[in-house]
Amino acid sequence: MLMAREATIARFNFPGLLTIVVCAVIWELLVRGGVIQYAYFPAPSAIGVGLSELIASAAFWADVAHTLLAVLVGWLIAGVIGIALGVLMGMSPSVRNYLLASVEALRPMPGIAFVPVALLLFGFSLNTELVVIVLPALWPVVINTMGGIAGVHQRLFEVGATFRLPRARIVSKILIPAALPSILVGLRLSLTLSLVLAIVAEMVGNPTGLGYAVVRDQQALRPAQMFADVIFIGILGIVLNQLLVQMTSLLFPAATRALRTA
Amino acid sequence: MRAAVKNLRSLFANLPPLRGLLPIVLLLVFWQLVQPGPSPYFPGPVQWWHATLRLSDRGHLAAAFLSTASSLLVGLALAIVIGAVLGVLIGASRRLSRALDPLLEFLRAIPPPAIVPVAGLLIGYNEGMKLVVVVLAALWPILLNCAAAVRRIDPLVLEVARSFRLSRWETMWRITAPSVVPSLLTGIRIAIPLTIILVLLVEMLTSLPGIGALMIRAQRNFQSSEVYALLVMIGLFGFVVNDAFLVIEAAILRSWPPRMAAT
Repeated sequence: MLMAREATIARFNFPGLLTIVVCAVIWELLVRGGVIQYAYFPAPSAIGVGLSELIASAAFWADVAHTLLAVLVGWLIAGVIGIALGVLMGMSPSVRNYLLASVEALRPMPGIAFVPVALLLFGFSLNTELVVIVLPALWPVVINTMGGIAGVHQRLFEVGATFRLPRARIVSKILIPAALPSILVGLRLSLTLSLVLAIVAEMVGNPTGLGYAVVRDQQALRPAQMFADVIFIGILGIVLNQLLVQMTSLLFPAATRALRTA
Repeated sequence: MRAAVKNLRSLFANLPPLRGLLPIVLLLVFWQLVQPGPSPYFPGPVQWWHATLRLSDRGHLAAAFLSTASSLLVGLALAIVIGAVLGVLIGASRRLSRALDPLLEFLRAIPPPAIVPVAGLLIGYNEGMKLVVVVLAALWPILLNCAAAVRRIDPLVLEVARSFRLSRWETMWRITAPSVVPSLLTGIRIAIPLTIILVLLVEMLTSLPGIGALMIRAQRNFQSSEVYALLVMIGLFGFVVNDAFLVIEAAILRSWPPRMAAT
């Protein structure tokens, strides 16, 4: 027990922490000392105050909740559709032949290009954000699921046939578990993408949530709050990613090893 | 020349079968049959084509594409140079990479679109700011991939360099640089879609000239067929940029590592 703790302490990156602290101190001194004379460049202490003000305000948490809702709902929809499509395309070569070129044609479409179309159709609403999130976040899941399923060894398939399992059971009991590592990689890529796209959709599409908070604080000339928003969004990204990794390692310990190396 | 043709041919051989485009074609035909005329929400594909012609007649289209593409290319080029140099320097020193790792990981975790308002406030809305944003977005994947590639170089190879008494510069040029190139290319491939999103975002937010500005203006004026026309064109643009890079990447990797004459 004690040894485990010592190992953690030894592995802890003190130089890394020190670098961040030193950078922040230099930044603070430069601003305080008047070396950087710039009206909109706040010192780290001012950003810290901004962050503590944000955390104390209810409106900020409403923004956070809205962005999280958009990210999670969009990611779930993209995940469900993506896995279904990926399984179909991975299992059947003819489905793949009749779909893959379409997927490859749509995949490089930059997600932000859907903002004006979504605004046209749905106006300022959560639906607009979901369109912008789901369409691009779909592809990593589709491609990785398809690759995972197509890579499942033929023998496993035959085992299922020997046991006379119905097709649906083969998919749920054999194919998906065998392809799980690459499905999880796709889901993780898709989660990161969902957060980026939610921020984009809120900046130029639906004016709510954290993405709009950054724009609003910029237009109101509140640089400290604006920096605090950006830092909070960064932390949110790390937390979401870590939650996904921790959850998958709890639920599917075997498949998570592949996720860590991805 | 012959090698280039061969590269192109092998790329086409790896393309998915073209009958896979059938779903898109069917969707467009169905769309046109259901909604042949103009509509505020779902104008038919033929209307998109008319809108494209109208836009290009007014001369907006070429100028917008030129502006977007040049920001993209210049920004990407700057990011490649800065990212590769910093990445190699950071990766070469174990201490430096350990010290900078948490900071870099955090900066990478910030979704790049969130920097746009910050850059807008600090720099103002101009072409320079557009470039800064593109460079910052493209920098992290390139830098981190290069640093990781340097760290993965087999220590034995570096020992060999030392026993041949290669100078630091020669080791850099003959061992480090060639080992980094494949990872550098991966970093660029990851960066490209991000840079396209960022250029369009800046144009949409600030109406700096470009396709993004054209598109958001069309939406604000409820020119639905122009919006769909621009969506198709941006899709093609993304496809061409991504695939052009895949061709370049395949061509470079095919003859990698280069054979260097022993001098």
